[in-house]
Amino acid sequence: MTSTIIHSLAAITLASGVALTAPANAQEDTVQIGLLSLTSHAPSIIAEAKGYFEEEGITAEFVSFQAAQPMAVAIASGDVDFGVTAITGGLISLAERGAVKVIGGALQETPEIEGQKILVSRQAHEDGVTTPADLAGRRFGITTAGSSFHYMAHKIADAEGFDRSELSLVTLNSVPAVIASLRSGQIDAWSIVPNIAGGLTRGEDVVEIGVIADYVEDYQVTTVFTSTDIVENNPELAERFLAGFSKGVADYNAALVDKTMSEEETAEIVAMIHEYVYTDRPLEDADPAIRAGAMRINENARLNLGSVEDQMEWFKSEDLVPAEATVENLVDTSFVETF
Amino acid sequence: MELMIENVSHHYGETHVLEDISFTLKDGEIICIIGPSGCGKSTLLRFIGGLEQPTSGQVLIAGEAPSGSLNPLTYIFQDFALLPWRTVEGNVSLVLEDHGIHGSRANAIINDVLARTKLADFRKALPRQLSGGMKQRVAIARALAVNPAVMLMDEPLSALDSQTRELLLDDLVELWSREKFSACYVTHNLAEAVRLGHKIVVLSRRPGRVRQIVEIDMPLGERFERMGELEETQRHLWNLMREEARAADMELADVA
Amino acid sequence: MSLDTTHAPVTSAAVPRPVAPSGARPVPFRGGGFRHKPLGFVGPLVFVALIALWELGSRTGFISPIALPAPSEAFAAFMDLVQTGMLWTHLEASLYRLVVGWTFGSLLGVSVGLAIGLFSFVRAGFLPLVSALFPIPKIALLPLFIVWFGIGEGSKVATILFGTFFPTVIATYGGVDNVDRNLIRMGQSFGLSWLSIVRKIIIPGALPAILSGFRISASIAIVLLVAAEMIGAEFGIGAYILMAGALFATDQLICGVAMLSILGLTISFFIGKAEKYFLNWRT
Ligand SMILES: Nc1ncnc2c1ncn2[C@@H]1O[C@H](COP(=O)(O)OP(=O)(O)OP(=O)(O)O)[C@@H](O)[C@H]1O
Ligand SMILES: [Mg+2]
Repeated sequence: MTSTIIHSLAAITLASGVALTAPANAQEDTVQIGLLSLTSHAPSIIAEAKGYFEEEGITAEFVSFQAAQPMAVAIASGDVDFGVTAITGGLISLAERGAVKVIGGALQETPEIEGQKILVSRQAHEDGVTTPADLAGRRFGITTAGSSFHYMAHKIADAEGFDRSELSLVTLNSVPAVIASLRSGQIDAWSIVPNIAGGLTRGEDVVEIGVIADYVEDYQVTTVFTSTDIVENNPELAERFLAGFSKGVADYNAALVDKTMSEEETAEIVAMIHEYVYTDRPLEDADPAIRAGAMRINENARLNLGSVEDQMEWFKSEDLVPAEATVENLVDTSFVETF
Repeated sequence: MELMIENVSHHYGETHVLEDISFTLKDGEIICIIGPSGCGKSTLLRFIGGLEQPTSGQVLIAGEAPSGSLNPLTYIFQDFALLPWRTVEGNVSLVLEDHGIHGSRANAIINDVLARTKLADFRKALPRQLSGGMKQRVAIARALAVNPAVMLMDEPLSALDSQTRELLLDDLVELWSREKFSACYVTHNLAEAVRLGHKIVVLSRRPGRVRQIVEIDMPLGERFERMGELEETQRHLWNLMREEARAADMELADVA
Repeated sequence: MSLDTTHAPVTSAAVPRPVAPSGARPVPFRGGGFRHKPLGFVGPLVFVALIALWELGSRTGFISPIALPAPSEAFAAFMDLVQTGMLWTHLEASLYRLVVGWTFGSLLGVSVGLAIGLFSFVRAGFLPLVSALFPIPKIALLPLFIVWFGIGEGSKVATILFGTFFPTVIATYGGVDNVDRNLIRMGQSFGLSWLSIVRKIIIPGALPAILSGFRISASIAIVLLVAAEMIGAEFGIGAYILMAGALFATDQLICGVAMLSILGLTISFFIGKAEKYFLNWRT
């Protein structure tokens, strides 16, 4: 009991950006789902709107966050039950403390689908940075230490055969700050998902010089995770959640990635996503932005364990996580198919 | 040096404060100004000191200020107006610095005025360490330092208790006896007025007009001993004032 | 003090001591309390006691390691910094930004504040501007600061400079407005020049307000340090805290926050000294 209180307290203080605080122990069939305003969170939105969660006996409630880190903390404290986020130093650290577990995969780079792009500023491009091999000695923007951007930057350095320290990483703490820095030429390079990259390269200031898929094979970008408490004491809830989530994934891929769905149904799905993503724009404007550059989300929330292991190795090599951290502590493989 | 107040009238917006005031302040003469509260005494003094200008009428200076007078028209304020962050000597030197008087020359003046006001022992004290009476003596010392031709005093003793007031009154008389400065002295205290004033200008309630100018011939130095003879004058002043004060009071009551 | 004693002839005989009737008792004392005694040792004691309790709570598992790391872990993180020498690197980077940003922010703030306090024209023109710009959270402008000042020291110093500028302006002109008008009148009545009045009466009179403005702006500078070091900072206490947050390294996080707090205490100590020195004339 007491530890619940302390957990909640920690969540209130640490999880700045929680739009809605829910009771720590959700009712049997009500789950709190953490949401970032990104298209990759669409499966949960679709599953809720189409009643897939309801079919599983789950009432879904969304809790909005501004960043992945507070969401991870809120899940650790039990204020939120499920979330989707990139594997970060923070997430591994929380998993090492026995607070959270990855239970499935979400966004993944696949060869046939357009994936994350490597971008440089116009200035850098004119200076001769035209391929990722030219990035040595350049300033590469990342949000925080241990973020997916940090990982991608080092994977590029490793594959191109120059020392990681030759990339000068600039920590900017937020995506808008990275964008501002790149566009004004304060940093030289960045890597980002295609729908944001597309928006940037359409302008004058930013040029695409490569794709991440060439450097990270089948990169498992984001994963589904929950609290260790649910994994241990209520695994059946996690299974039901994943079942509903997977149906959402199937619809998302069909509508926006494989485009096998009728236009009418696709429009319906876009409208559902628009309830939570790009809400600041009218639907007509948001529609193309939501459709553009949709990346595949793994069917049935399958998880690329190989990619997770590679990421873990990298975190350890950079001393960003405790040396004793393991994939076993991070991932519970009993829920989904892994490969 | 003489000061002539000629047909001074003044309005503050709608408020008619002073009406056609005229009198002359002669060299070496002390004029006391009395009148009910709010009749414009302080305002009149500010005109005389050149800190404000009347709506109509003027204040004229005739003759030259005595040589060596740094600030011919010098104010002494009811609330002392000492700089709390300067010591006693610092407060005095403040008014010398702008005249380019520094170092030993300033020191000599400071020594002199502090001795005259019996403050020699408190040179280094800050205002917060002084009693009310001492603070006003510092203010007087500061005024003396600039060698004024006319001292303008706005109820200089009213913030003090009655014993201190008596002592300072004696001090003022003594200072005047040594050096015949002229002064305009605003007060509410009729006893002060008859102790110090060669002339007493009685103002009516607002708008202040000159009701009467009472002259007292008795030399200042003798007045303490001959207080009894001044009783009559004081009673006369009080009779003049009483009606005005009562009427002023009624007006205020109406406003309330 | 009774009536008949005043009529009694003045004698030098000792006044007879009154004899207390039986049943007389001392007047009950009701004047205690509501007054602060200096109890210098209590502050540190409470501090030490809290930390000891916290450590105990962490060791017994009463406080979950996710909620708070044990103080000893935070201290270990601090010792890591000392041993690797990173402490000085971080401190140096942050102090540079704080000192430059705060100094220029304060200098500019005092100058503009004085101008607003002294010249009606400046007041009419700038005061609405200051009121309009003060409440803007500087953090919201960070992306623009990147474009304006770059991701080097410029934007970091600028964040702190802007953050400290406005409160200093407001404290200063407020101080000028509050200078006793009578003192200014006094200066005028003695024929002091305009410059003398400003230098000798207005500035010293506004100094208490300016110094308490410094106290506030110094705290704001420390608060803004974390925001300032969001942009491309490799070193600095703020950058250290941000990185600890991103990696959920709570021991380092607490260690960094404690360093900021100690920094704040130190600055407040020095401003206290400055107040004692410059404002010793106050009662
Ligand atoms: N700066 C000003 N602006 C507007 N009205 C003023 C100003 N100064 C004084 N007055 C008004 O002028 C009238 C005379 O004020 P003044 O201070 O001269 O009176 P006083 O005779 O000195 O009164 P007291 O005996 O109480 O000191 C009052 O009604 C006062 O409210
Ligand atoms: Mg008055």
